[in-house]
Amino acid sequence: MIAALPERRWIGTLILIALFLAGTWYTATGGFGLQSIVTVTAIFVVLAVSLDLVAGMVGLYSLGHAGLFAIGAYGTTLLARNADLDVFLLLPLVVVAAGLVGAVLGALSLRVSGLYFAITTFIFTIIVYVTLSNSSWTGGLQGLSGPLFPAFPDPIEDVLGRSVVWAVAAVVFIAIGISWSIRSSPFYPVLLAVRDAEPYARAHGVHTSLVKVGMFALSAGMAGMAGWAFSFLVYQSPGQFGWVQSVMILVMVIVGGINTRFGPILGAVLVGVFPFVVKIDPFVQDVVFGLVFVLVIVFFPRGLVGLGHLVMRRMRERRRAASGERPPELAEAEIEAVEVAALDTEPPMRADSDDIALAARGISFSYVPGVPVLRDVDMVVRRGTIHGLIGPNGSGKSTLVNLIAGELRPHRGSIELNGVRVERLGAPARPAHGLRRTFQSAVMVRELSLVENTTVGLYSTVRRIAARSVIWPLLPGARRDGRRMRAAAADALSSVGLESSWHTSAVRDVPHGVEQLTQLAAAIVSEPTVLVLDEPLAGLSGAEMTHVAQILRRLREEGVTVIVIEHQTRFIFDNCDEVTVLAAGELVTSGAAPGVRENARVREVYLG
Amino acid sequence: MMETRNDALVVTGLSGGYDRFDVIHDIAFRVGAGEAVALLGPNGAGKTTVLRAIMGLLKHRRGSIRINSAEVAELPVRRISRGLAGLVPEGRRLFAGQSVEDNLRLGGIHLRRDRERTETLLQSVFDLFPAVERHRAREATALSGGEQQMVAIGRMMMSDPALMLLDEPSLGLAPLAIQDLTVALQRLRDRDHSILLVEQRVDMALEVCDRVYVLSEGRIVDEGRAADIGAEGRALIDAYLG
Amino acid sequence: MLQVLISGLAVGTIYGLVAMAFAVVFYVTKVINFATGQLLMASILIAAGLINGGTPDWLGIAVALASVTVLGVLTYLVAVRPVLRFDRFSFSWLVSTLGVALVIQAVFAIVYGPASVPFPRGWHGIPVRLGFATITVQEIAILATGVLAIAVWELVRRRTLLGKLGMAISTDPEMASAVGANTTAYAIGAFAVGGFLAGLAGILVGPITYGNPYLGDTYGIYGFIALMIGGIQRPTAAMGGGLVLGVLSLAANAYIGSQASDWFPFVLVLLVLLLTPNGVFASGDALRSTLRRRSAFAGAEA
Repeated sequence: MIAALPERRWIGTLILIALFLAGTWYTATGGFGLQSIVTVTAIFVVLAVSLDLVAGMVGLYSLGHAGLFAIGAYGTTLLARNADLDVFLLLPLVVVAAGLVGAVLGALSLRVSGLYFAITTFIFTIIVYVTLSNSSWTGGLQGLSGPLFPAFPDPIEDVLGRSVVWAVAAVVFIAIGISWSIRSSPFYPVLLAVRDAEPYARAHGVHTSLVKVGMFALSAGMAGMAGWAFSFLVYQSPGQFGWVQSVMILVMVIVGGINTRFGPILGAVLVGVFPFVVKIDPFVQDVVFGLVFVLVIVFFPRGLVGLGHLVMRRMRERRRAASGERPPELAEAEIEAVEVAALDTEPPMRADSDDIALAARGISFSYVPGVPVLRDVDMVVRRGTIHGLIGPNGSGKSTLVNLIAGELRPHRGSIELNGVRVERLGAPARPAHGLRRTFQSAVMVRELSLVENTTVGLYSTVRRIAARSVIWPLLPGARRDGRRMRAAAADALSSVGLESSWHTSAVRDVPHGVEQLTQLAAAIVSEPTVLVLDEPLAGLSGAEMTHVAQILRRLREEGVTVIVIEHQTRFIFDNCDEVTVLAAGELVTSGAAPGVRENARVREVYLG
Repeated sequence: MMETRNDALVVTGLSGGYDRFDVIHDIAFRVGAGEAVALLGPNGAGKTTVLRAIMGLLKHRRGSIRINSAEVAELPVRRISRGLAGLVPEGRRLFAGQSVEDNLRLGGIHLRRDRERTETLLQSVFDLFPAVERHRAREATALSGGEQQMVAIGRMMMSDPALMLLDEPSLGLAPLAIQDLTVALQRLRDRDHSILLVEQRVDMALEVCDRVYVLSEGRIVDEGRAADIGAEGRALIDAYLG
Repeated sequence: MLQVLISGLAVGTIYGLVAMAFAVVFYVTKVINFATGQLLMASILIAAGLINGGTPDWLGIAVALASVTVLGVLTYLVAVRPVLRFDRFSFSWLVSTLGVALVIQAVFAIVYGPASVPFPRGWHGIPVRLGFATITVQEIAILATGVLAIAVWELVRRRTLLGKLGMAISTDPEMASAVGANTTAYAIGAFAVGGFLAGLAGILVGPITYGNPYLGDTYGIYGFIALMIGGIQRPTAAMGGGLVLGVLSLAANAYIGSQASDWFPFVLVLLVLLLTPNGVFASGDALRSTLRRRSAFAGAEA
């Protein structure tokens, strides 16, 4: 899904738009029956698309969208009745109102984890329902009839048909437009990173809390917009905005295919059209819906679009087997050797030894009061060196890395990055000071390509990606930035030995070693001054480790300071200029590698 | 590799891992009846993964695992843990909120109907670890690290397993506790139990075990008798530090 | 005041039984069965249907309780177990159990009709005076059942070996299976107990209310709120949450306004979720056990 928008894409999009307009015209000039079905289904589409923004892209499963929908619908109706405002003015009002509520819910997601968050939004929907049912000014259980949408002047109406249909169409267009724009912008890999690997996103400068709140507000505003349009269509009663509806919206998204372009649309159409096509008793309809909830979750977690992909992949495999081609996954891993000085030459001793890239001094930290994990630890890393950090299990290495990276704050001590005190700064702020880090376990977004994953590393270097993402394809500057980001990502991947035939492969299809190299590429694409690698060799073969060693040496030649945390002590002593050794939370020794290796205490600490 | 009827454990062609990629590749080794064998290697070599595979806790595993000649590679963990193998996991993992005695009895839950055997087993645990008997009514997780380790070993003993698996029991223990642990393991060995010990501490493993295997990057790279390794101790140590 | 307390405790026990039904299932499986409210409703309607049709009281009740116990187990087998295997998003059982809730509700609406069905009066009509307050025998039965439920739960959990194994499964299911626990059997048992408790709550509240298919929503939600207030980690705390909810709701009715119990529970649960997300009763314990677990791993000591 590379967001290059080549000519082919433009033509495809124009055709879709033409079809969309034609369909709208056909409906608007058609009979009332058709109009009911189409417009209500269209509203479902908007709701499904809005939920997919947060559930699919950010991983926030909300069961509160019926409540947000209600805010839009009832808000429009009540304001139209009591405040006598023009219906077009009501749109921004209810969108903002729903958006604010959405922001609050989004903020709640920061406090409570996935399950509790879903439950909280579930309760939110119930609260809205109960409030609406019990208040006389909202019509109680009976509900209210909504405002009338102003009709076209007669001559226009003769040509275009009912105006409300065009209003709904506009709303659908905006919703899909926003969703597809985000999907084709560089913000999309960032969102998925927030969903799948939040610490990784933070390590690349993404303020994940803001992203979550912002996306929820956007999604809520969209649901509110759907409510606005809905109010013109039918009589509103609380029963249309209960928990069943919230779950139904989620099911629509899952049935169609979560986090896909067409999935939510497909799911919404199926669910919307179903009661009209299959005319059954409403109770039996409920039974069917309930069964659908269960069956979809159990058997089709990828939805129809996922099923479609599976079928296509099977067909492709069969075709390939027939023609004798080897599938790319089985092809030999072509990782190009990195041009660098030979391994057996001595690393140059730097004379300018006073230039300190990173200085951690007097670091003390404990997770639980009274149980110190690090006690008065110092680590000083000179610029342009490869610095190793080793120690047995439980020595506090990982904690120290997290302190340097900003995921944790030391209780005592200071951390200086290129001379600037950073220990009070959070992880997303550190890339701005030249620090980047990698993680030892899988953090890439598996369904995206290597290039897309690597562009996450550039997020904090390009301005206003998030804000521009909603209309990305329309902004020439944005498209230019996108191209530049992809080119830089490709270069970074090549520089770690992954040449272009790898670039468009999805992470889930590549071997573990390639995934780790991609993570490295994402860390260096922004040209950091200090690079922290957390157990980069985990799961790598001997050849791959040599390759990593070459990359580190080349980085050192370029002046980058590299800090490596590892268990593989042979690798450390072969490649590092200086080594720091920790044990049981305290510094054992620190200094030039050969000396540390011979140190008696170091041997003792590792071997008992 | 000769497979004798006497072997407590015979592993051949064992591979597996978590998620997509294998952590261990084509592992083959054996533990004879009444033998204590050590699995050494640096961190990340795959030692814990091997134990988990034997215990049935590894979702993706291929190969053959025979305990007392019974093939267990396809069995679920709850069957393996009922007398075939017992595990003392890394970090002890005693059951929180329960007493030492409760933890022990839970270890032998599959024998609960046989009261006599349960009491005999309990007594043998107390013989080995008098401190555990002293603390039997205390909450298990309130004990010191060394004492908890003994409870964990006792819990494993209560299921009367044919094969005893220990994952880095010395982790996080003070030197004195490690000494006590070494003595306890030696006594277990002397009682003719079949033991597979995973350790990072070479010294302790050599004092307890008859044979050692060395694991690196998911493969067995060396094996030998503990006595022989003593002479080449320096070479092994150097292998760790490069 | 005393009346509010007594009646509040009685209705609170009903909420508490539903909350316990949720909590027992969660305790063992870490799953919330959102069809629990519907199981309460099913028990009322099945019993009412049979008894009104001439079946002796005790038989009708027995069949109802047995039926919802089975329904609970079926929910696990059909909507939870397969989902836990595939694990798409880690709580997709939320949607599938809600689906089961919808199916049960709709099926009962079809079979029994949407209108209310009278439930045999039972002991509801027999009042007993206690000072300035009145309590009915039914309410006494409810309170007694609540106490019994807590007692049985705690006794089995803490005094029997199998109960202790259940505790082990709750805290460390992998290690529990490594000592031989059959976690699937325990899961089935948990869902069965959950169904039974919900059914019991239904039988007890039946005489006080009318049976209709939408009761499940109401009691399910109140039971769920009680669960959130008391704390999801421990069934005993969940019962406590129910009692708190019952008393405070009736107090709100008495002192704020007769409609207050419609919205008051939601305000209460929102406050609890924001201030003590682990529930009013659970927080201290959860913190203490986290600390203890830390010290078990943190390391060296003689």
